[in-house]
Amino acid sequence: MTQSTETPMVELKGVKKRFGDLEVLKGIDLRVDRGQIISIIGPSGSGKSTLLRSINNLEAIDEGTILLDGVQVNRPDLKGLAFERHINHIRQNMGMVFQHFNLFPHLSTLENVTLAPRKLKGMSASDARALGMELLERVGLADKAQAYPSALSGGQKQRVAIARALAMRPKVMLFDEATSALDPELVDEVNRVMKGLAEEHMTMLIVTHEMAFARDVSDWAMFMDGGVVVEANTPDRLFSHPDQERTQHFLRKHLGAHA
Amino acid sequence: MDINLMIEIAPLLVKAAWVTVDISARALFFGFFIASVLVALRTSQTPPVRWLARAYISVVRGTPYFVQLLLVFYGGPAIGLRLDPFTCGVVVGAFNIGAYMSEAIRGAIESVDSGQNEASRSLGFGRLETLRHIILPQAAGLMIRSVGVLAIILVKNSSLVSIISVVELTYQAQRLIGSTYKPLEVFMLSALMYIVIIYAVMGIVEFLYRRATRYTFR
Amino acid sequence: MEFDFSPVIDYLPTLLQGVGVTLLIGLTVAVMSVIGGQIVAVITLYTRKVVNWPLRFFIWLFMTTPLLLQLYFLYFGLGELILIPAIVVGILGLGFHYMAYNADIFIATIRSVSSGQYEASRSLGFGHLRTLFYVILPQAFYRALPQLSNNMIIMVKDISVLSAIGIGEMVYVSQYAISVTFRPFEFYITIAVIYYLINLMMEAGQTWIERRAAYRR
Repeated sequence: MTQSTETPMVELKGVKKRFGDLEVLKGIDLRVDRGQIISIIGPSGSGKSTLLRSINNLEAIDEGTILLDGVQVNRPDLKGLAFERHINHIRQNMGMVFQHFNLFPHLSTLENVTLAPRKLKGMSASDARALGMELLERVGLADKAQAYPSALSGGQKQRVAIARALAMRPKVMLFDEATSALDPELVDEVNRVMKGLAEEHMTMLIVTHEMAFARDVSDWAMFMDGGVVVEANTPDRLFSHPDQERTQHFLRKHLGAHA
Repeated sequence: MDINLMIEIAPLLVKAAWVTVDISARALFFGFFIASVLVALRTSQTPPVRWLARAYISVVRGTPYFVQLLLVFYGGPAIGLRLDPFTCGVVVGAFNIGAYMSEAIRGAIESVDSGQNEASRSLGFGRLETLRHIILPQAAGLMIRSVGVLAIILVKNSSLVSIISVVELTYQAQRLIGSTYKPLEVFMLSALMYIVIIYAVMGIVEFLYRRATRYTFR
Repeated sequence: MEFDFSPVIDYLPTLLQGVGVTLLIGLTVAVMSVIGGQIVAVITLYTRKVVNWPLRFFIWLFMTTPLLLQLYFLYFGLGELILIPAIVVGILGLGFHYMAYNADIFIATIRSVSSGQYEASRSLGFGHLRTLFYVILPQAFYRALPQLSNNMIIMVKDISVLSAIGIGEMVYVSQYAISVTFRPFEFYITIAVIYYLINLMMEAGQTWIERRAAYRR
């Protein structure tokens, strides 16, 4: 990976995470530059989702450092309310997209998008509305602004969830298996939105099972297994000529004859 | 059946029914505050505070409301707690139902999918903001229904304050049975009043429930 | 403020007698209301309207009015017609009250046993009644257990209310002792503790029963 000298957007140094006796992240180092798109692939239980959730501090890490644009995310020195304030502020700069969308069912599509800017940034109702409509337009759902999540398809829900995350103008977007819960025919519409973001040079970390999409959209690809990064390379190289046997084995299983 | 007698005693029973409503409504109101405090204590970061709240809930739920009432009313003066019968009914009712209600509120909050909390926190909302904007609106429906069930129990429990001579519906009914020797007539009329009160509570609960869960019907 | 529990010790035999009465009533009412509730539920579900409508009405009436009011009605109403001891009135009153609550549960759980079970049993050659007894009711019973045991835990606490019609359970026997010793606080605390212990034991029993019944559902 070509390393620029500017501050990386996201940086992980020696990140370790345990669930009880089980070590799920065994010392991860990672550097994501501004505008870079990184895909993380690997079998379930490899730690790839935990890694992504750790960056957002949805999982608190046990060791190591996580930096967002030079600011430390995990702060073992801060306790209680002080940490609470710190992490809430940090999270406003990160957009997270979940496998199961987690749209707020009691709010309309537009309200889902505008809630955070209104309540956290004190944006006026009319400004928030304009922003919300702009983002819904961007994900192709302006006509569903007044609809409630229960009336949307899975693909539409995920597009709203992306718009909701974008509403805070995040520095980086984290996608945690954003298309895994979707019916196959709905995957494309979400992928198109993500590709649109890539073209606008949004910094993105994508945990995915969609090998073709990962290869197509990302600048750098990582294969994780057993809590370690087994191999990281350009997507072309990683998907066509992986160096490690574990990677080859995983890709053979998931790509079949197309590899 | 003695219709004339029923017409004659109806005003007395209506007046007593109002006392039943009054005492139950006040106990529900204060009980809700007690329940909210208990829920907060149960999620406290300090373990002894959590244990204390749990112990309180366990003891209140594990002993009869009737005994609690007698203990506070007759035993209270021994520890310097002197309450008139009506106040005693409200206070014991509130502290009793508060314990049950705290469990109902906690259950409703826990029924909201954990993904909702994560999504909200990932946007940068704090714990309380998440509770207020995301969790409570979604828990409200279930919460209203369970509190409604408890409100009905509270109305029925309020009959027990007749023992400490609050002139509510059951007290009046018992007195009228004694003075008229017409148990059936008195029972039917007073049962009717309880039924009216309980159905009114159910109606209010249903109305609030529909308002709170409007989003699921849209 | 000073507490003196020695009067409670003095009256311990009386109090224990009250505990005995409480437990006896609890056991009788439990058996009566569970068996009765099941019978009422079956009659309500499988008979003509002339039979089941009055039953539904009584279930509804018992569930929408307070126990104490029902007790007063039975005590003075029945007492006017025939001479029966208060304890019988108390057991009947509490029994009918919880029979209604239990019947309500059984009605729901019997309905929840799938029609597939009924058809499977009939296809084996079992008649309607045998299907009911061998297939439907056992399943409905296991499904009802958690709520039934809840009801019984609540019921035991309600036994204290029977003191209002002069039945010599814990509260009633203490009231006499209190009128002599003027120690209401000590006596009611003792009763509360005893009830709490009974409650803990019943909750433990409930957990045990439910664990044993879990794989039968």
